[in-house]
Amino acid sequence: MGVGFGVGSPVSRPFRQSQATLHTWSGLLLGWVLFIVFTTGTIAFWREALNRWMRPELPRIEQPMRVLSGAQAFLQRTVPDGQSWYITMPSDRMPVATLFWIPKTDADAPSGRGRRRRGTDTQALVGADGTAVVARDTRGGDFFYRFHFDLHYMPVLWARWIVGVAAMMMLVAILTGIVTHKKIFRDFFTLRRGKGQRSWLDGHNATAVLALPFHLMITYTGLVTLMAMLMPWGAVANYTDEAKISKALFPHVEVPERSNRPAPLVDLVPVVRDAERRLGGAAAYVEVREPGDASARITVTRSPATLLNTRGASVAYDGVTGRPIWQSPPPDGASATAGVMIGLHAGRYADLGLRWIYFLCGVAGTVMVASGLVLWTVKRRERLPDPARPHLGFRIVERLNLGVLGGFPLAVAGFFWANRLLPTADAGRAEREVTVLFVVWGVAFVAGLILRPRWGWQALLGGTGAALIALALFDLATLRPGMFARFLGGDSLWVGTDLTLAVFGIAFLLIARRVARHRPTIRVRTRRAAISMDAMA
Amino acid sequence: MIARATGRAVKWRRRGDNALRFIAAVPAGYAVASLWAAALARVLPGSRVGATVAGALIALALCAAAAMYAYGARSGARALLVLCLLGVVAAAIVWASVSASGRL
Repeated sequence: MGVGFGVGSPVSRPFRQSQATLHTWSGLLLGWVLFIVFTTGTIAFWREALNRWMRPELPRIEQPMRVLSGAQAFLQRTVPDGQSWYITMPSDRMPVATLFWIPKTDADAPSGRGRRRRGTDTQALVGADGTAVVARDTRGGDFFYRFHFDLHYMPVLWARWIVGVAAMMMLVAILTGIVTHKKIFRDFFTLRRGKGQRSWLDGHNATAVLALPFHLMITYTGLVTLMAMLMPWGAVANYTDEAKISKALFPHVEVPERSNRPAPLVDLVPVVRDAERRLGGAAAYVEVREPGDASARITVTRSPATLLNTRGASVAYDGVTGRPIWQSPPPDGASATAGVMIGLHAGRYADLGLRWIYFLCGVAGTVMVASGLVLWTVKRRERLPDPARPHLGFRIVERLNLGVLGGFPLAVAGFFWANRLLPTADAGRAEREVTVLFVVWGVAFVAGLILRPRWGWQALLGGTGAALIALALFDLATLRPGMFARFLGGDSLWVGTDLTLAVFGIAFLLIARRVARHRPTIRVRTRRAAISMDAMA
Repeated sequence: MIARATGRAVKWRRRGDNALRFIAAVPAGYAVASLWAAALARVLPGSRVGATVAGALIALALCAAAAMYAYGARSGARALLVLCLLGVVAAAIVWASVSASGRL
């Protein structure tokens, strides 16, 4: 947009300068949160893949309807009179059905759903044989997905506000970044290596401009995913009650009161087959309310894996007769637009090739944020009155960069290692993996505070690289023979993930080596240079 | 002596201007965007749900635009004044619309 302003005209110059200031500060203040959000979001594009990779015990990919049948057998045996069952269907990325259920509420229990999400007794992974798969307890790729917007160790609402504000600052940083760039297209092709600040700036520009449409899209659509929380005022102006707009936005079949007349639940397989025909695509979620009762209702929702709009249509059935009784109305234009934006953000529709493009663009975004944060210090280091003793603000940014940009990737590597090394039978293992991540991060952070920055960068980046390469080797060495057979059979997940980890490990080592070889250019700070620098800032 | 005093005055004026720009960019920007989300939700054609969602989608972009304007404007005071006027217009639309036809 700013490219259209005349270069050097008296009006455009101060405007561009004001936007450069805004770019610097909106990018810096929550830049570390943005780095974490970008990193975890980028990894979360492999959410399903990691869900499987982090549970090597899972069986091979199975025909979905056979798994559904097994899931129904399991639920009928385990919670025949539950209040509701939620079945996430298996797919070509997940061999088992993910089950979650709410047991029947006691008559004297407080009304409303007893939400016991974490309880191990209300969820299970079930395969085609109708038994719960004994896989190591882990949050898998879901951890990155959740961390991306819920963070950790804090109330979800706080986390989403922090992430929402950071995303808005990101949007401002991107837009002002565009305005600031006079030579946006030339910068795309420019990378001057080994030139200190210039190289950092070129790297920042290249990763920013290279994937600019992606960065704009992902940031704005990210805000859209949090829109109901960030911008509820239109709903307030239109509706007296929040429930009314939820009902209009997310239509749902009416479930009658539990009749307490037992009636066997219909076989789910033909119902889901019929739903897939009506919906025009594979089913992702099956919800059964009041199973085993005459009032039972089954709702089948279409999978977002083949839809741009993340809110798939759904169709509901009578749970006893199996007759269709309700279909969700088509969404209006604006709701469909918002749904497609969220779909674009999450990329659930993307097949493997497009998934890689998403992932690589996410990596570019992560590098853009990281290089921007480093650039802040590189740019100011040359202007420090005494480079040996920088002022407090500079030191805070420098150490935060080290602890977050250097420490968090090491923590992620630690998380993967914990997944492989913690005893598989332990209870509460999933949360311990997460604890390992934060302990490693904490140690890295402290190391970043103690070590001289140059050594700190080498230690953390080199450590991350070594940890990732070692993990890939360890994993390939301990891979059960069946995995190789699966690889030859076309299931590239195991070998592919390990190779990707190794490539990232090598990249981290190369960056660490560059840091080790780097000799910072100390410029003599002449008065004139100082003045022109100040004018630039 | 005088030069130093003016220097200090300039410095403080710049700080005040920056504070006004920040207020315009963040709290005022969000408030104006929110009021326009409400106004658009009331007046955009189509279903109420659709208008509500469309208003929010546009307001998110307005939030960023307000911040850019706050720093690009000639002065912080001017930015704050313009944003307040825009907010008053939106508030008037919401008020008129709600008092005319109420809420759902």
